[in-house]
Amino acid sequence: MAKYLLKRIFYLFLTLFLIASITFFLMKLMPGTPLNNQAKLSPQQIKIIYEHYGLNKPVWQQYISYIVDAAHGNFGLSYQFSDQPVSYLISSRIGPSLQLGAQAIIVGVFFGIIVGSLSAIRKNTWIDGASTFISILGISIPSFVLAILLQYYLGLKLQWFPIADWGGFSYTVLPTLALAASPFAETSRFVRTEMVDVLGSDYIELAKAKGLSRTGIVWHHALRNSLIPLVTVIGPLAAAIMTGSMVVENIFSVPGIGEQFVKSILVNDYPTIMGVTMLYSALLCAILLLTDIVYGIIDPRIRISGNEG
Amino acid sequence: MNVRSAVKVGAVALASTLVLAACGSKNSSSSKKTVNFEESAEISTMDQSKVTDVVGFTQLGNTQEGLYRLGKKSKVTNALATNTKESKDGKTWTFTLRKNAKWSNGDPVTAKDFVYGWQRTVNPKTASEYAYLFSGIKNADKISSGKVNYKQLGVKADGKYKLVVTLDRPIAYFKLLMGFPTFYPQNQKAVEKYGSKYGTASDKLVYDGPYKQVGWTGTNLNWKLEKNNNYWDKKNVKMDTINYQVVKDASTGLNLYNSKKLDVANITGNQVAQYKNNKDYVLRKQSSMFYLQYNMKKEKVFRNAKIRKAISMSINRNQLTGKVLADGSTNPKGLVSSGLASNPKTGTDFATEAEVKPAVTQNLTEAKKLMAEGLKEEGKSNLTFTLLGDDTASTKQITEFLQSQIEKLPNVKVNLQNVPFKTRLSDSSDGKFDVVLSAWGADFSDPISFLQLFVSGNAQNNGGFSNKQYDALIKASNTTDATNPEKRWDDMVQAEKILMNDQGIAPVFQQAQSQLWSSKLKGVVYNTAGVNFDYKGLYLTK
Repeated sequence: MAKYLLKRIFYLFLTLFLIASITFFLMKLMPGTPLNNQAKLSPQQIKIIYEHYGLNKPVWQQYISYIVDAAHGNFGLSYQFSDQPVSYLISSRIGPSLQLGAQAIIVGVFFGIIVGSLSAIRKNTWIDGASTFISILGISIPSFVLAILLQYYLGLKLQWFPIADWGGFSYTVLPTLALAASPFAETSRFVRTEMVDVLGSDYIELAKAKGLSRTGIVWHHALRNSLIPLVTVIGPLAAAIMTGSMVVENIFSVPGIGEQFVKSILVNDYPTIMGVTMLYSALLCAILLLTDIVYGIIDPRIRISGNEG
Repeated sequence: MNVRSAVKVGAVALASTLVLAACGSKNSSSSKKTVNFEESAEISTMDQSKVTDVVGFTQLGNTQEGLYRLGKKSKVTNALATNTKESKDGKTWTFTLRKNAKWSNGDPVTAKDFVYGWQRTVNPKTASEYAYLFSGIKNADKISSGKVNYKQLGVKADGKYKLVVTLDRPIAYFKLLMGFPTFYPQNQKAVEKYGSKYGTASDKLVYDGPYKQVGWTGTNLNWKLEKNNNYWDKKNVKMDTINYQVVKDASTGLNLYNSKKLDVANITGNQVAQYKNNKDYVLRKQSSMFYLQYNMKKEKVFRNAKIRKAISMSINRNQLTGKVLADGSTNPKGLVSSGLASNPKTGTDFATEAEVKPAVTQNLTEAKKLMAEGLKEEGKSNLTFTLLGDDTASTKQITEFLQSQIEKLPNVKVNLQNVPFKTRLSDSSDGKFDVVLSAWGADFSDPISFLQLFVSGNAQNNGGFSNKQYDALIKASNTTDATNPEKRWDDMVQAEKILMNDQGIAPVFQQAQSQLWSSKLKGVVYNTAGVNFDYKGLYLTK
């Protein structure tokens, strides 16, 4: 196990290093300057400002100093927010995104499991039909449409929740619901398929033959076994949602990181692009590693060994 | 004191505390004058030397102050300056400063603060992206190219309350510049105290304007402006608090406005059609012009004025602004935006005075004729070119509309290329385009802010338009006629007419911002250029 972990962690760092390098060079290929007032500056003026930021040095020199700094966790200063360290930009903005993402995953997965299992147990009844319909809506309605509808009806018309802004828990309800739609739909479809599979398997037949109660079968055998594969789906889904959604954050005026990332790419804010990309990558890698470890623990059929891992 | 009397005293004390507390809270809630505003983006910095965006300029314009404030129609009014003297040749300006102005840290605002702030901005080490506005002040150009030390800038303090500015050449719009945040003073003590953190949060700078900013942490979406009690003219500041919230989505803004959480909301697209007749609807013209540039360096056909005219005459601008954009944007009268500047003698708007109607009006018959003639002169049977534009949803709509219009000319084919904003800028300055949809916003309310662009060899003249007469007129307006406002005005009017008759560029539309303003808000000064909104005189009516 320890050997396996060490190996995985080594690969994790290698992956991050490759991502950092590829992003760096892709970024340098993007046309345009990181300056905010590029439209009004002459090439000479741009050159003077480039000298100040060290952007006139050969790309390989910039690359080396960038990698060295990044290894020390220093991503430099943002261009769009003058003099603001990227680490501060990220740390002050990641909180709301993480919180909304975590809430959305919990809500979505919880209700997804309930609806998915009901649908599998009552296969081919109206319950199954209704839950399939809701799940398909959840997948096909874009989050921004849902967000706008929630804001208009629950926020403006009924005034149950704040329309936008960021304060206490009540401010998180609408964005959470908007974000929860897709994990809800994915989970319920996934659980339904798995559970239908499990319910048709031999050991469930055996349990029935032994005369176990219906709830006992579903609760002890079917549900547990159909949830194991869900772990592999939720991990990456959580990473995607917790890193912020630009549209939902914009609509509800949430001070999150999602919108920052998109904007930093549009305006060539090199340090911010790198900082956020590395954060996302690290998060995703860590979650994947965790998923694999957890999977080994909950499913005894999967054995982790140094040689095969 | 026995127990009973102690209880009595206690009861009285408690009761009076409660009554007083009740009074206190009542007072503060009823007399506090508060408004709720939105901003469309975060503040990127509060450092005067580094700010480049409208959000930042509006914040600085209301929390800081320079020699002048600009009133309605950019009328120059004294702020920190009490007296201004211009030398006969227009190259030396002497400002007398008021003695009762203070920074929020208690320091007096002195001439030294101007010298320090200006030197800091032009110092190449500061990497200011607005230092180019100093061009014309003695040595500014040499300093930014690193040839001369920044301390040699033509500005000095003559005692505590006299500021003397020396120019390389007379600058006709110098007074307007003095109302722009880049030229405000800076408190050296504060800049040095906060070092690299200066201007990165509300509490990392000091204020000398009508309001102080509170609660901006550098990245958050909510902050406030509070009345500055150290401000010399605080008796004319009527508001206690202006709350700000960043709202990036127009429908969110509208919902907040309708639920009275905001007193002002920006509206766009179809919201405008819906609210156009609402009593709260306000249309804000902006000094922002969109125009086509033709790459005359690369494509010989575009050197033919007939072809350029034909393209411009094929565009139905009424349809573009009225139906496609429908957000309050208006038809252009020329390159210089309307509502920017007015004739020093007659008060006529520059754009109206210099308008060349046929140049910006659709005339398909004439356009077809000109295109046919033009192509014949160039020995070509057809014309295919690529129109470069931004990749935002609204710009795509515009370029698609332009394509449909221009292709009404026989034998003309337009391909579209929509790229990110920064790519469009780089491609434009590298000459990698046939025709590009460009935009320009004026920094100050003077026509030269636009007209300067198309002088031969100017960095923003991406298409390479060149006209000797035009160059000569602009030069005269900047040199021989610089101190004669009327003559200078005529030079600029003529120059604009030449540019339009020759169709060096084709104006497409002038941008505007549609807003809903609560009718209780009064006393706001709006200008199309520079600091857009001045809230110093803001007050509430019932």
